[in-house]
Amino acid sequence: MAAEYVLEMKDITKKYGENTVLSGVSLKIRPGEIHALLGENGAGKSTLMNVLFGMPVIHATGGFGGEILLDGQATTIASPHDAMIKGIGMVHQEFMLLPGFTITENIKLNREITKPSLLSRVFGKSLETLDMPAMARDARKALDSVGMTIDEYTLVAGLPVGYMQFVEIAREIDKTGIRLLVFDEPTAVLTESEAAQLLQVMKGIAAKGIAIIFITHRLDEVIAAADGVTILRDGQLVAETRTKDTNVTQLAEMMIGRKGESAFVTTEKRTLDENAPVALKVRHLAVDMPGEVVRDVSFDVREGEIFGIGGLAGQGKVGIPNGIMGIYEAAGEVELFGKPSALNHAHAALESGMAMVSEDRRGVGLLLDESIEDNIVFNAMQIRNDYTKNILGAKLKDTKAIRRHANEMIKELDIRCFGAMQHTGTLSGGNQQKVCIARALTMKPRLLFVSEPTRGIDIGAKKLVLETLVRLNREMGMTVVMVSSELMELRSVCDRIAIVAEGEVVDVLPVDASDADFGLAMSGIKPGQEGGGKHA
Amino acid sequence: MLKFRATKQQLIASVLIAVLAVAMIGVGLYGLSARSSQSGLKLLEDMRLQAILNTAGVGAVEAYVDAERQAATQAVREAGGGMAEIREASAKAAEEAAARAEEMGIGAVDLSEIDTTPLGEALNELAAAQQAYYAEEAAAQALYIEEHADEAAQAAVDEAAADGPADAEGGEEMEMDLAEETVDLSGFVATEEMNRLSAVVDEAYLALCEEIKLVFTALDDEVLASLKPTITGIVAQQGDTFEMQYDRAFQASGMNPGLTGSIMRQGRTLAISGVGLLVLAAAVLFYIPLVDKMGVPRLIIGLFFVLLCLLAMILGLSLPTQLSNTLVRLGMNGVLVLAMLPGIQCGISLNLGLPIGIIGGLIGGLLCIEFEMSGWLGFAFAIAVGLLISSVTGLLYGMLLNRLKGDEMSVTTYVGYSVVSLMCIAWLVLPFTSLVMKWPLGNGLRTTIGLQSSYRHLLNDFLSFKVMGVTIPTGLLLFFALCCYLMWLFMRSKTGIAMSAAGANPRFAAATGINVDRMRIIGTMLSTMLAAVGIIVYGQSYGFMQLYQAPRQMGFLAASAILIGGATTSRARISHVIIGTFLFQGVLTLGMPVANALVPQSTISETLRILISNGIILYALTKSGGATRG
Repeated sequence: MAAEYVLEMKDITKKYGENTVLSGVSLKIRPGEIHALLGENGAGKSTLMNVLFGMPVIHATGGFGGEILLDGQATTIASPHDAMIKGIGMVHQEFMLLPGFTITENIKLNREITKPSLLSRVFGKSLETLDMPAMARDARKALDSVGMTIDEYTLVAGLPVGYMQFVEIAREIDKTGIRLLVFDEPTAVLTESEAAQLLQVMKGIAAKGIAIIFITHRLDEVIAAADGVTILRDGQLVAETRTKDTNVTQLAEMMIGRKGESAFVTTEKRTLDENAPVALKVRHLAVDMPGEVVRDVSFDVREGEIFGIGGLAGQGKVGIPNGIMGIYEAAGEVELFGKPSALNHAHAALESGMAMVSEDRRGVGLLLDESIEDNIVFNAMQIRNDYTKNILGAKLKDTKAIRRHANEMIKELDIRCFGAMQHTGTLSGGNQQKVCIARALTMKPRLLFVSEPTRGIDIGAKKLVLETLVRLNREMGMTVVMVSSELMELRSVCDRIAIVAEGEVVDVLPVDASDADFGLAMSGIKPGQEGGGKHA
Repeated sequence: MLKFRATKQQLIASVLIAVLAVAMIGVGLYGLSARSSQSGLKLLEDMRLQAILNTAGVGAVEAYVDAERQAATQAVREAGGGMAEIREASAKAAEEAAARAEEMGIGAVDLSEIDTTPLGEALNELAAAQQAYYAEEAAAQALYIEEHADEAAQAAVDEAAADGPADAEGGEEMEMDLAEETVDLSGFVATEEMNRLSAVVDEAYLALCEEIKLVFTALDDEVLASLKPTITGIVAQQGDTFEMQYDRAFQASGMNPGLTGSIMRQGRTLAISGVGLLVLAAAVLFYIPLVDKMGVPRLIIGLFFVLLCLLAMILGLSLPTQLSNTLVRLGMNGVLVLAMLPGIQCGISLNLGLPIGIIGGLIGGLLCIEFEMSGWLGFAFAIAVGLLISSVTGLLYGMLLNRLKGDEMSVTTYVGYSVVSLMCIAWLVLPFTSLVMKWPLGNGLRTTIGLQSSYRHLLNDFLSFKVMGVTIPTGLLLFFALCCYLMWLFMRSKTGIAMSAAGANPRFAAATGINVDRMRIIGTMLSTMLAAVGIIVYGQSYGFMQLYQAPRQMGFLAASAILIGGATTSRARISHVIIGTFLFQGVLTLGMPVANALVPQSTISETLRILISNGIILYALTKSGGATRG
């Protein structure tokens, strides 16, 4: 341990094509230090870790700029396997364990201790038998060091989620020569007591001289466990500091910050009538959407408002519109303009005057093999029987009316295409999004959900889509509920923004609330009750 | 919207092929025109003449030798020699006579040495008379066949019934050839006109004989009368083409016809090959846009079809007849192929469980015979019963498929197989009583049941007419068109559009409040019901209903047809059905006679059918990446 830092990443720059995702980021970790890596979705955390582990995706896209020093020695990490040999380990967010194997077998997987046997003497080393007692002894030691008393011969299948996390950690610790461990959001799936235990284990590991990179978005955990913090935003290093010199609010501020304004529409400030009737009333909504579980959400949307729903990815914000529109199983109460709306019934939800532009454009939002016009009128035909004509009791599509309407929409929303007959699968992302919006509008909805409207489309198209939403709201008085991971986007067009974390609404904030408030809310801390994090 | 794009190599290759093609067509056309020109006619005439003189010459030599031998034998016998001596003397005399004949040039004659004009005239007269006779005979026979077609059908049924037990046990059923009925001509009696023309032929032959006698003095009437079949056989035969006459004359004359003659002989072949090469040149030139537009397999099959057409022409098969057959098969298989469409569109992929619906249709047909209905009423009744049964089975089948989402392809295959096997038992135990359908002995239904008592060829013959030798089965095609039109309307209806969406993107459909399971059931039911109608149409055109193992392969044939048409396992259109059925059935219809003409007595056409139908399914599966959709 001659060098001051076990790992130094200097001036890391990474481009995907024209897109710079990391520029001049540096990271320094001392031996035995717990170092937190903070940042919003897309801030560059994952890319930085991919660089550290020499992931194929990095090499396949032209490598990176900058250098990596291990113990003060410049080094290149060619592959994840190379990283492992050099003493860098990873505790994954998704568990990489074999359910049908015992804990011991999982911990020692591919590093089994073997002893020679009759067969191996004839056929070579790969046929040696496993030395189970020796493996169990090692596993026991590793399990003890993470504070687990469970029997090392237990099968992984059926273990509680928290236990699996610890087994995963034990496996990393068991590797000899491990110097640096990366924890990727390890507490996301743990209960509060398990999370506390995990932090203890991390401190114990660090005390043995192993450095830890701790990726998380829970700011209170950072303060509680980490020694140092590096904050990334938009691929740039914002700050590197000691936790004892900062606090949760400051961290939140640094994490959110203000981004460039250029791509976004600015709307004039307006004050909304506090007494405007409630358009959408949601009480105790729970939605079972994979990856976006909503636990208990309540909020009101007023008529004529653009209501934002923000939060980090996977926290449940996308589940809210999907649950209300009956796409995923939901429970709770939803009232639309004073009338209760049936859940788990997509047809009824559409009929009652709600429409949705889905976040999964290519999956749920479009029929990629059908023409623009057929996509636009699909819902209106199915739900409202618009654009059909009756012939002998059968409802046939009215091609002329459809063509007329589609051409209007193409002009109005400026959909760039060769004509209404072009298949939507051949359109660019932004134009596909416009087709989705056109389809929702054709339903003449009173309330429009837009979920991640700017995901995966270029900046120019983003601006157009957002402007369209504002125009619909201002000119046609349509109530809009917009769900987005991009806080900046929400703040530029919404009237109020609800921040969702861990399946619950943390707070509903005005657009001009401080960055710190938004940052705290995103990590699940309601402003005003700082320090008392709420983790279900 | 074929956008022209081609590489330099393509350009060069296509120009080279085109030049070659034009050259071949040019030479071929020259050869064809030479046939009717003065020199061409002269060449054929000379060859024919030489052939006849050769034949007559051989006859003359034989007659001379015979006479000498007779004389020798007679002499020995008079001298009181024994049998051995007689034989010896006879052989010796024959040898000597042959040598003398050779020396004297009795049997050989050179065309340039004699005046062939009267001989040629007599020959031409004979040829004309014979051709007139054969034309009359062919016409009279055709008339006879038409009058006795029903008997032949009956005979075919009886024969099929006799073959029945073997079929039932024989596992894989071979598809029977469409033109299976041959009228027995033994009852054919020559007409008045034929007799008259026959007399004219005889007269002309006698005239020719007079001329021949002038050349070969050794010949007498008796010998010439015995030579008659050979000579008339060389001059003309029934259904002669230029090529056949030429080949016969060429063989018998031993003359060297020279380059012109060869070109004349091969003119047709050359010209047709040239046309084929032109098509190939065009295909090479437009390869990229064609592949974009049609895909590789359709291009290959399309070119193959063109190749078969040309081969059929070269081999002298009657193209109009083959095209008529193709049209009939298009109509008779079309509805079955159309049945794949709702299955593919609603998301169950290729409905290889088509036999479920087919069996419904078969039961409809059986009931129609059982109740002794016939004509349009019987046909309508069969369809109604078929629809009724298949709607129920289709509903159950659809519910089954909804429980097994994702593996439809294998599920449909095995459901189809099991249902066919189950029905094998049912056909044996169902209490039908009509003697038309039952085995003469014991219980159970025959494997092949004739439909002439009910609705055989009802649609085929409705308003059918002939254009340029091609019979258009108007009613059949109209019925197919009607089915397509109804399906087209359905696909444009609210339900049809919802069904297509449910198949293309189930999550999209569900998000719009469409009951995806219900739509899949509708699609499955429609597919099954169309299969029932399809087999009835198939049966009426074929003339028989096939029970037991026969329905098993039909799902695969229909699947490959629609895939050739350009459909994928998740998307299909009506145009795919029509194009696919035409190409697939066209290749099969033409492929069989062409393959049999190329390699006689082989089962290569059957191999071809299996290869094409299974190969195309395999290709489509690799394209669709298993069962993934959306």
